[in-house]
Formats: sequence, C-alpha cells, structure tokens
Amino acid sequence: MTRPFLGFGLGLRTEHYQYVLDNKPAVDWFEILSENYMVPGGKPLANLDLIRADYPMVMHGVSLSIGSTDPLNKKYLKDLKELAQRVEPHWISDHLCWTSVDGNNSHDLLPLPYNEVTINHIADRIKQVQDYLGRQILMENLSSYVTYNDSEMSEWEFLNEIVKRADSLVLLDINNIFVSAHNHHFEPIDYIRGIDIDRVMQFHLAGHSYSGEMIIDTHDHDVCDPVWTLYAEALKHFGAVSTMIERDDNIPEFPMLRAELAVAERIAADTLSADMLQIPENRLSGVA
Amino acid sequence: MPELRQLQQSFMGYLLGEASPVVEQIESSADTSAQQRLDIYATGYRLRLKEAIMSDYGRLHFYLGDESFELLMDRYIDMYHSPHTSLRYYSEHIEALLAEHKPFSEVPELVEIARIERAFNDSFDSANCNTMKIEQLAQIQPEDWPEVRLQFHSSLKVLPCEYNSFPIWKALSEEETPPTLVKENSSWIVWRKELVSRYRTLSDEEADALNMAMAGGSFGEICKKLLDHFDEETTPQQAIFFLQTWINEKMVCQLSV
Ligand SMILES: [Fe+2]
Repeated sequence: MTRPFLGFGLGLRTEHYQYVLDNKPAVDWFEILSENYMVPGGKPLANLDLIRADYPMVMHGVSLSIGSTDPLNKKYLKDLKELAQRVEPHWISDHLCWTSVDGNNSHDLLPLPYNEVTINHIADRIKQVQDYLGRQILMENLSSYVTYNDSEMSEWEFLNEIVKRADSLVLLDINNIFVSAHNHHFEPIDYIRGIDIDRVMQFHLAGHSYSGEMIIDTHDHDVCDPVWTLYAEALKHFGAVSTMIERDDNIPEFPMLRAELAVAERIAADTLSADMLQIPENRLSGVA
Repeated sequence: MPELRQLQQSFMGYLLGEASPVVEQIESSADTSAQQRLDIYATGYRLRLKEAIMSDYGRLHFYLGDESFELLMDRYIDMYHSPHTSLRYYSEHIEALLAEHKPFSEVPELVEIARIERAFNDSFDSANCNTMKIEQLAQIQPEDWPEVRLQFHSSLKVLPCEYNSFPIWKALSEEETPPTLVKENSSWIVWRKELVSRYRTLSDEEADALNMAMAGGSFGEICKKLLDHFDEETTPQQAIFFLQTWINEKMVCQLSV
C-alpha cells in the first residue's frame, strides 16, 4: 500500500493569513478552497504564494458539479487547472454531488440518487475531468438531508462503485458520515467498512449543529466526541490517512484550531504505530 | 438520464421558490417529512446568497438599516439567480436593482454608495500588472508624444457622483453617523496601489483628462480636451503633470506610442 501520508493539516482561512505568515506555525500542510483563488490577482493570490512557499498544500473545490446533467463547465476546469499549475498541490478534491443545473448555481452540495444511471453518468464525467487535469481527483462524501425514492443502494456502495469505475480517489469526511448516518438512520461504521481501503487519500473532520431532529453540517463548532471515536475507528480500518479539520464559521484564533488538530494527532498516535505515521522527507515538494 | 435531469430541475425549482413536484421524489421519515428535509436546502440557499450580499455591501447595509436591507436582499434573490461558480460575483447587479426598482430608486444616493463599494471590492482582487516607472517617460521621442496612449491598472474606476456619496461612504466605513445628504457634483477614483485599495477626489480638469485617457485617447487628444480649462501655453505642462501623477500613484501599467 503506497498511500502518500502528509500528516495533519488545517483549512487555510483568510482570518488566519497574518498569523500564519507571522508565526509559521507547526502544521504539516494546508488545504485551500480552490474557488477563493480563482480570481485575477491582488491579495488572495499574493498571500497564497507566500504561504505555499512554507507549506505543502492540497486543493479542495465546491463547484465542479460533477453530478450535474449540465455539460462540464470548461471555464471552471481551465481556471482550476491554472490554479493547480500555480499551487502544485499534492492532490485536488471536490464533492460527490451536483451544485447547478440549467446554469443556475445553488452554491450548495446537493445529493444524488444512488443508482446505476447516476453511477455511469458521474464515472464518465470524472474520467473526463481527470483526463483534462492530467491527474486523479478525490471525491468527498457529503452531509445530506434527503433520500430520493430512486435510490437503489447505500451511499457507500454508490461512492465505492463510482471511484472504482472512474479510477479516482476518495476524500472521506468523517463528520459527514456521522451527520448522514444520523439523518438517514444507518450505522456509521458500516459506511467506513464499506469503502475500499486503497482509494482513501484524505480525511476531513469538522463540527456540526442540530436543527430539530436533523444534524446540519455547519462547520461552526469543535469536532464532537462521537466523531473523534469514529475517527479512531477509521484509522484502525484505513491506516494512516492525511487528516485535516475544516472550520468555516465561528472561526476561532489559529492556536485554538491548532490545539484541536493536536487531538487528532494524539488519537492517531494512540491508534497506529509511529512507523505508520512517518511523514516522508519530500513532502514539501509539489508532487504526490 | 432524463430522469436525473428532471429531478435536478425540479429540485432547483424548489430552491428558487417555484412550484415544484420534487417533494414527491423525496422520502419522509417518522421524525422529519420530505418537505422539512427539502426546506433545509431551500432555507440554506437564501441564507448563503444573503451572506454573500451582506459581505459585499456592508456600508450600504449600515446606511439602509436591517429592515430595508433585508427587503433589498429578498428582492435581489427573487430577481437574480446565480450563474457563477463563486459567490464572489453574485451581487453584481445590485446597482441595477437600486436604480430601477422602487422604493430604492427613490433614494438616488443608494446607487452611488453601492457603486463605490463595488469599486473597492473589485479592486481587491482585480488583475495585477507591473506598473510603469516615471523614468520610462524619458525614453519617449519628442515627435512621438502626441500619439502616446496609456493602459491603466484594471482596478482603476472613475466614480462621478451627483451627491456627497463619498463622504457618506467614508463615515459609514468608520461606523460614524453619515453627513446630511447634499447634491454636489464630484469625481472620485478608486484603484489598487500594489496590494492596497486607494481612493481620492479628482478636480474637473483631471477628471476630463483621465476619462479621455481611459477611453483610449492619445496625449494629443488629452491636451485638446484640457484646452477647455487651460490656455495653449500651459496645457501640455498640465497634461504631463497629470500623467506623472498617475504613474507615481501606480495607476499606469503601460504606455504605447
Ligand atoms: Fe468535508
């Protein structure tokens, strides 16, 4: 098994640019939100270049709309490829969802019906994207709030089958598994055990909030205890996987987030051998 | 996949507030109905668009107050869908709404304040260029001067105002009570100098020269325009003075002969 292990990272947020530049905190890598840097110039790209000089990065997008029945957005793909040439990320990820149809964008990660028709449609589109970018991409599982009548299988069977047919990789969001398991009444551990071990390249961790009987994926709280427990289970199942915490709202000072990341490091150290958690020397280079 | 397309279209219709049959394709559970589940998405859709508008138009929000701004955002979301892959560009038509729709169109300074805020937002991440250095002027041959044309930094915007909208914007930025509205013609510029956005006022003379230069007018044409303000002897010196100012303020990317 030759999965590259980057260690423990954080999502790069504008609120923390100055802290990161001034203090060069000990974080193994940063995940950037691709769309934030798909702009012509100015400060966002200037800060990106400065921080990239000190840290490895991965790129994470929200607008690929891989599951849409609109044609693939060529302009978006071109901008994404140009950004990747600038950042030289270890990998590029987006979500197994659709975000737009008839040219209207929901700016949300909308779920898909889990059936053969959708699998074919998406596997084919992922292949086109990978051909264009010249690299495999990672598909992330969502938090979702609806189930379609047209679904014929579990979400993990759906995800697994798509990445197998497209020969792509998986970004497994542990919090999203927890949220969707609650909202759709399945066992989170079944999800974890249902995913091909070799395809998982990255984990997301995040916090959520309750709204009535449902859990909403808000990224505005600390990671909760049941998600930490599930994270430990995931490490047992998958081995060492590059892990990061997503925080998008109610964003604390950088050292608070760094301390939360230390919890992930401790759980990994308690669960896996030191050997498995070795970060390769060449991790600063762009190539995975 | 006509079924998948139809499903996506009716789901999107639901988010956009249109009559949609999508609820029939969603499962209800004992604790939460299909409609309640869909409404998580419908509520989230409007909230996200509102957050985008609020982050772009903080001063306008402060000036209008919460209630009117909420009305503005609701109108905007009803009128405009988002064709963009980034929320960064969603609010681009706000000036059109303010100018054309009551009750906002009855408050004419609103468009001006919104235009100022947009100029700053756009200057923040507009394209970079290596701005010209003043020494480069010495390389121009005397006979080439009349045909010299300038290419400006993409962030540069001239903002003509009919009201004291800039002082109002400035007070709002500092969270102070804005001055009383008065009708007064003035011209301002917003641009990004290296990584920081700047602004200043323009005299009528400089505004004429800059508008001519930004429209692609040659140095000769700029001089001709300035004859409205100066005599023939001082006009070329004035034009050169403006040109030097723009170069020193890092507004000029390139000069072509
Ligand atoms: Fe995630």
